[in-house]
Amino acid sequence: MGRYVVRRLLQMIPVFIGATLLIFLMVNVMGDPIAGLCGDRECDPATAAQLRHEFGLDQPVWQQYATYMGNVFTGDFGTAFNGQPVTELMGTAFPVTIRLTIVAILFEIVVGIILGVVTGLRRGRPVDTGVLLLTLVVISVPTFVTGLLLQLLLGVKWGWIDPAVSSEAAFGELIVPGLVLASVSLAYVTRLTRTSIAENRRSDYVRTAIAKGLPRHRVITRHLLRNSLIPVVTFIGTDIGALMGGAIVTERIFNIHGVGYQLYQGILRQNTQTVVGFVTVLVLVFLVANLVVDLLYAVLDPRIRYA
Amino acid sequence: MPDQEPYEPERAIAGTGMGGTMDLGASEAITLEQPPGPDGADPRDKPRSLWSDAWHDLRRNPVFIISALVILFLIVISLWPSLIASGSPLKCDLAKAQEGSQAGHPFGFNGQGCDVYTRTVYGARTSVAVGILATLGVAVLGSVLGGLAGFFGGGGDAILSRITDVFFAIPVVLGGLVLLSVITSNTIWPVIGFIVLLGWPQISRIARGSVITAKQNDYVQAARALGASNSRLLLRHIAPNAVAPVIVVATIALGTYISLEATLSFLGVGLKPPSVSWGIDISSAAPYVRNAPHALLWPSGALAITVLAFIMLGDAVRDALDPKLR
Amino acid sequence: MLLEVRDLHVEFHTRDGVAKAVNGVDYGVDAGETLAVLGESGSGKSVTAQTIMGILDVPPGRITAGEILFEGRDLLKLKEDERRKVRGAEMAMIFQDALSSLNPVLTVGDQLGEMFTVHRGMSRKDARAKAVELMDRVRIPAAKERVKQYPHQFSGGMRQRIMIAMAMALEPKLIIADEPTTALDVTVQAQVMDLLAELQRELHMGLILITHDLGVVADVADKIAVMYAGRIVETAPVHDIYKAPAHPYTRGLLESIPRLDQKGQELYAIKGLPPNLTRIPPGCAFHPRCPMAQDVCRTDVPPLYDVTESDAERGSACHFWRECLHG
Repeated sequence: MGRYVVRRLLQMIPVFIGATLLIFLMVNVMGDPIAGLCGDRECDPATAAQLRHEFGLDQPVWQQYATYMGNVFTGDFGTAFNGQPVTELMGTAFPVTIRLTIVAILFEIVVGIILGVVTGLRRGRPVDTGVLLLTLVVISVPTFVTGLLLQLLLGVKWGWIDPAVSSEAAFGELIVPGLVLASVSLAYVTRLTRTSIAENRRSDYVRTAIAKGLPRHRVITRHLLRNSLIPVVTFIGTDIGALMGGAIVTERIFNIHGVGYQLYQGILRQNTQTVVGFVTVLVLVFLVANLVVDLLYAVLDPRIRYA
Repeated sequence: MPDQEPYEPERAIAGTGMGGTMDLGASEAITLEQPPGPDGADPRDKPRSLWSDAWHDLRRNPVFIISALVILFLIVISLWPSLIASGSPLKCDLAKAQEGSQAGHPFGFNGQGCDVYTRTVYGARTSVAVGILATLGVAVLGSVLGGLAGFFGGGGDAILSRITDVFFAIPVVLGGLVLLSVITSNTIWPVIGFIVLLGWPQISRIARGSVITAKQNDYVQAARALGASNSRLLLRHIAPNAVAPVIVVATIALGTYISLEATLSFLGVGLKPPSVSWGIDISSAAPYVRNAPHALLWPSGALAITVLAFIMLGDAVRDALDPKLR
Repeated sequence: MLLEVRDLHVEFHTRDGVAKAVNGVDYGVDAGETLAVLGESGSGKSVTAQTIMGILDVPPGRITAGEILFEGRDLLKLKEDERRKVRGAEMAMIFQDALSSLNPVLTVGDQLGEMFTVHRGMSRKDARAKAVELMDRVRIPAAKERVKQYPHQFSGGMRQRIMIAMAMALEPKLIIADEPTTALDVTVQAQVMDLLAELQRELHMGLILITHDLGVVADVADKIAVMYAGRIVETAPVHDIYKAPAHPYTRGLLESIPRLDQKGQELYAIKGLPPNLTRIPPGCAFHPRCPMAQDVCRTDVPPLYDVTESDAERGSACHFWRECLHG
């Protein structure tokens, strides 16, 4: 197990470098990093040159990347467009997005798995068909449309929620945005659970469990569910990274000042350090979540042994 | 080089003896025990191939028929929008801004006073074009790279796997924002290019996996033992059998690409006005949603139906090609 | 009679139509007796067994007629909860593929112990002790340590022993073994079969042994029922059938076994394939493959003729059983 973790950590290094470098190049080469620094005006050539030197932008790109990553590993993520250190922005933005992600994951686990189990056990019945159609619709409607519609209905028309989330972004305010963020994954979790349950229901070991004379609820919870949820847990685990990275749209609709909001601002102002800094953390979260999922897999399924 | 025998995939699959068992429905318990029938006397017992069997299923599947008709309709109005919309999507009259449904303007007007119906019809063109072109690009690039990597293995395969890992680690919308925010060209090409750039690893993984599976089939090993060249193995024996998962994933992906284009346009980095796109219209309608919800709902509905049609089509094709999932 | 199946009919709804899997099966087994049910894939032998156990998938399966009398009670008339209490406790089943039939994510101790916690209300600790006892009994070495292991950590033979232990756990009156040795190595097959026979004698259980392997049958079975296309075509004491089969299908099966005293001769094989159960041929279902078939076989379904010659009961569903028996 230990050796497996080490090997996986080593494998993560090239992926980490590749992903951050890619983003670094995209931001750096394609845009002008200092364009946003002089406010709305164009920088005059002298100031621009000075700024370039100050930020090391006159050096070759690979060297800039190396310097930047060197700084990142000492905890210095650079400075945002408004002069704040990027780490400070992260300190306010990440807790918000993490709360939003937790709400979303809870929706996936509770609603997604329950719907999946119910439909998987009642394949072909009206409940199944209904939920299946609903998941198709949810998957098909883009998140931003779902978000705008829920905001319109719940926030504007019926006044159940505040259309915009306050800067504290408490859990209570994040329920609807969390549902919006989770929506597509929620539908996938439902479908995945359904397929998995339906497949395992016909398996030999479930037949054995029935032949043993176990009560139905025990067959389902102890034998069927335990096996069927392994792929679902894997999906939800890998989804953590995707949700945090995909929160941009949701955060924009509900005006949540989280990671997505800061990234959006950073991109608009072409501030390399904000964008690359946040993306670096997101990529790390994604990679670590994947590793944890792989290790969890070995815990859930004793047949998997990592050497 | 064009294949001389267009039905090769069917024959190859039927040749593995799998054809006859592919259409056994829910009653696996009993039908698995049951061989094709007495001496093939009854024509209904003839083993059907994967593809003809899938087609047989699809023709009877209402989901497939409905989604295919919707898609056909969308393609027709993308090519000739004037068939059903007489006006111009760019002819707007600020005096009529936010007005509701009225004679000749069934969907009302948006915040800029443009006719929502006309703009919704013209928006189909962008979505369908982006979806189809991006999917073609992704499918070609992904299956060529993934297929070659799966077939030859070795160092190239390892490098490709790491590269796909890198792309999977970058959140798609985020990548789109970064890459497209600096592009000033207001055509569909940058969006398509971006989708191909970030989308190919998904297809490449699928193609790689199915080529590796197909490669291990006995008849491929047999062909190899008989001295078939690599290109012959790949094109005639492996590709026909590896292509089904790629088609399924690509069809479903097409729907998500349409959704992605709209999302990027909504965020202001995909297409920008004066281009016509559902994403733009939804985005520009959002601030007026209190007074003119129709300007938001119509393009949203059109977008949802379009994406739904492609996803349902992909679903139906997958079910038809993979009877185990039924 | 411990178990009596009477005129059982089971069908399946498939996309190609209604598959008639079991068409009027009668058989019975006494305590301490072994009945071997023989037949090819699709003959209905497994479906009959699943129906007796009450583990048939309904739908697509459907029991259209018949009775299953277990100690005089018709199991098909019991409520689902009463039926459940019979399963595992009074009758148990051993499946062909122990690897897929055991739950991969639970330890064998949990799976064995479950019989005691559920049916006997034992504590988990006591159940665990019982599990070790059972594993000892089926001669799994180091049972105390291995009780914590998962199915994939055992060899094929050991896994089948665990299946047997699980079936024996509550000392049921009837065991149904569905091809218990088919998935095993030849060397292990005999050991597992011997163990099964030994435990059966010890506990004086009825055993229904489902197999397509005539070789296995000869040593352990008391009587044989041969099934074809969902019907019993011949039933007889085991030695009579080997001496002189009374049905051409049984004869075909016997002649297709390789024998040492016929070295060098061509091995016989029954021509053709078993029928499609959605379209069973009219008359005798075996007629398209039968070397003795006459016109009457194509039109009239043969009843199970009483062909008893000595004291043991015998039956054959062949219009020409006399010719077959003496020919």
